[in-house]
Amino acid sequence: MATRLESKTLPYGVGHLTVAWYVVTAFLLAILALGLYAYSRQLGEGEIVTGMRDIGTMGGAPWGIYIAFVVYFVGVSFAGITIAGMVRLLNLEHLRPIARMAELLTVITLVLGAFSILADVGQPLRALINLPRYARPMSPFFGTFTLVIAGYLFASLVYLYLAGRRDAAIMARQDTRFGWLYRLWAAGYTDTPEERERHRRTTFWLALGILPLLLTAHSTLGFVFGLQAGRPGWFSALQAPAFVVLAGVSGTGLMIVIAAILRRALGATRELSIGVFRWLSNFLMVLTAAYLYFMVVEWLVSVYAAPSAEARVAAAVFRGDYAWIYWLSAVALVASFVILFVQYAARNHNLALAVIAGLLVNLAAIGKRYEIVIPSQTHGTLLPYGEGLYRPSWVEYSVILGLIALGVLLYMLFMKVFPIIEAPESGEVA
Amino acid sequence: MARYAMVIDLDRCVGCRACMEACKVENNTPEAAFWMYVFRLEEGEFPNTKLSFLPRPCMHCDNPPCVKVCPVGARYKRVDGLVATDWDRCIGCRFCEVSCPYGVNYFNWKSPKMNYYLEWGDPTVQQATNGAIPPYKNPDLDRAYGPEQRRIAGSGHLKGIIEKCTFCAHRVEVGLDPACVVNCPAFALIFGDLDDPESEVSRLIREKRTWRLLEEHGTEPRVYYVGGAPPSTEAHQIEAVKARV
Amino acid sequence: MQTRTVVALAVLTAGVALGLVSYFFLAAPLGRPTDESFSNPRVPFAAALFIGGIVLVFASAVCYELIGVRREDGA
Repeated sequence: MATRLESKTLPYGVGHLTVAWYVVTAFLLAILALGLYAYSRQLGEGEIVTGMRDIGTMGGAPWGIYIAFVVYFVGVSFAGITIAGMVRLLNLEHLRPIARMAELLTVITLVLGAFSILADVGQPLRALINLPRYARPMSPFFGTFTLVIAGYLFASLVYLYLAGRRDAAIMARQDTRFGWLYRLWAAGYTDTPEERERHRRTTFWLALGILPLLLTAHSTLGFVFGLQAGRPGWFSALQAPAFVVLAGVSGTGLMIVIAAILRRALGATRELSIGVFRWLSNFLMVLTAAYLYFMVVEWLVSVYAAPSAEARVAAAVFRGDYAWIYWLSAVALVASFVILFVQYAARNHNLALAVIAGLLVNLAAIGKRYEIVIPSQTHGTLLPYGEGLYRPSWVEYSVILGLIALGVLLYMLFMKVFPIIEAPESGEVA
Repeated sequence: MARYAMVIDLDRCVGCRACMEACKVENNTPEAAFWMYVFRLEEGEFPNTKLSFLPRPCMHCDNPPCVKVCPVGARYKRVDGLVATDWDRCIGCRFCEVSCPYGVNYFNWKSPKMNYYLEWGDPTVQQATNGAIPPYKNPDLDRAYGPEQRRIAGSGHLKGIIEKCTFCAHRVEVGLDPACVVNCPAFALIFGDLDDPESEVSRLIREKRTWRLLEEHGTEPRVYYVGGAPPSTEAHQIEAVKARV
Repeated sequence: MQTRTVVALAVLTAGVALGLVSYFFLAAPLGRPTDESFSNPRVPFAAALFIGGIVLVFASAVCYELIGVRREDGA
């Protein structure tokens, strides 16, 4: 299809639709369709089609993988804007090529997090109206809803928008179908030194403003669990900081994977150099070490002197029904740390190993989120109800897979309309 | 203004569970939802076992974790002490359910119409019941109550929301006791106004040794127990509950 | 240059003020719930106002960058 869109002078694959792209898109659309179908079944019949049930006499877990993935998605979003922010705040110029892909990751995963919440609540339409209308600051969900989904998402969109104006101006000068979009985005950007200086200043302060919002937002997500005295295993001062650290781990790991995929797909070996992966790997190594520390402390406290209900939850997690998830996640985190540490100590960074570490920590993060959310419900009742059981149903798996497919689709669509890597400072198209 | 509370005399309770039945009939709760629940507990190894029964309504706490966490204020504390759920506002997030230490909340996982014990439209059922009308639902359950005029009574309204024991707010409104209290054959459940020094609940709390469930968690429940003892960590139910939607 | 800074700072201040006021004075009160007032916002849609405050804070960055820009297409 030789249209203006297929111009090979557009950077980083913009407008260049290959057969492989169509195949992947079709596959993702199929998964998305499955997710939508599953959700429609849930809307029609109610959440009876999920594996969730009431705590107590029903021996179930009313919060399942929907909530676990809310936490996971929001956690991943943390790293995106943190990395982009650190580029500005710490002047890490060699990381600039990953800034936009990190910002995009934040925006998309926040949207997925919001959709996961909507998928979980029993009355989603009511939620859309009643949350802005009645939301109470005393509820930890207030922070999740206002700071995370609304505030943080808007801040990240502003960041993405402002940081993209220069590339939009460059794209506007090309002959493309989306000229109107680029001109709107660029909003009269002229690449003068004054404008660049002003932009530098704005994004510096913007990054500075987003970071405390980020910390507060993730801490309130931790408080959703950490403040529940009636839920043994959840009630802990550690939840808030541990959430923030695991968020950094999963997000940074996913950034490594995405950057590696794009390096291969776009042939961007110069921009996405080994130096970029070295920095990301070292950052991930430090965060993983910090999270492993949290896990060790948590384990020690549980086995040394836990009250009876907490001990019951700990037994289920460390030795019982949930042991396989916990230990697999722990091993994945340790293995990842070892890989990253050996590379750091030997000063020899291998891309494939970094990607493996990135994948491992994300699988571990998903497992850990599951292990945080579920066991305290099935095995942590303070009254003698007995053990419960939760097994996600095909509806829940499909909705989650559909959401992940949606995220990848949105990412891929963006890349076809806008360059995923910033054009170099000279202003010339690569 | 009244300050309602309940006293449960464990020396009288025989574990018959008539209160559970009464609550279900009065409030139209769907399958597997037990707003009032009675634990039948056993401790020790045979032959040295001890039996005990523990009725567990909603505690209508004075420091209710469920009210604190409700994102939209559908779960609220009334001045008279009842903790109510506005089923017009509830978004079904189930935060109250995970925050309750007592496990008293029930979510409508499916449409309540599809969730009763008998398929009332079924022709064989119609024949057996001689065409009796579908389950009678007290129209009082659909009305608004309290000075705040919010709809908080009864169950079976719609799917995707949370419901729990209301201390029969629709009965308390007209000066009646909750259904469980009225139906207990052993008069083990007593309901009344703590602000009235002559009420039976005030008298019992004043004269007898009372305790409350999970008091150490700071929830300040309004349900007091007389006699018996808090369940020990060794206590377990004699029979696992098989009711699951 | 002056207009831009003034407007951006004004929008930022308005955003912070709106956020603080709606959180502490317009939304449902903080504290142990003793009656229904702890479960209702004092002003309807107070949470939306709070979000509006946060939006203004970050919109100030857009103001600072875009105000006084000479548009290339003469619009």
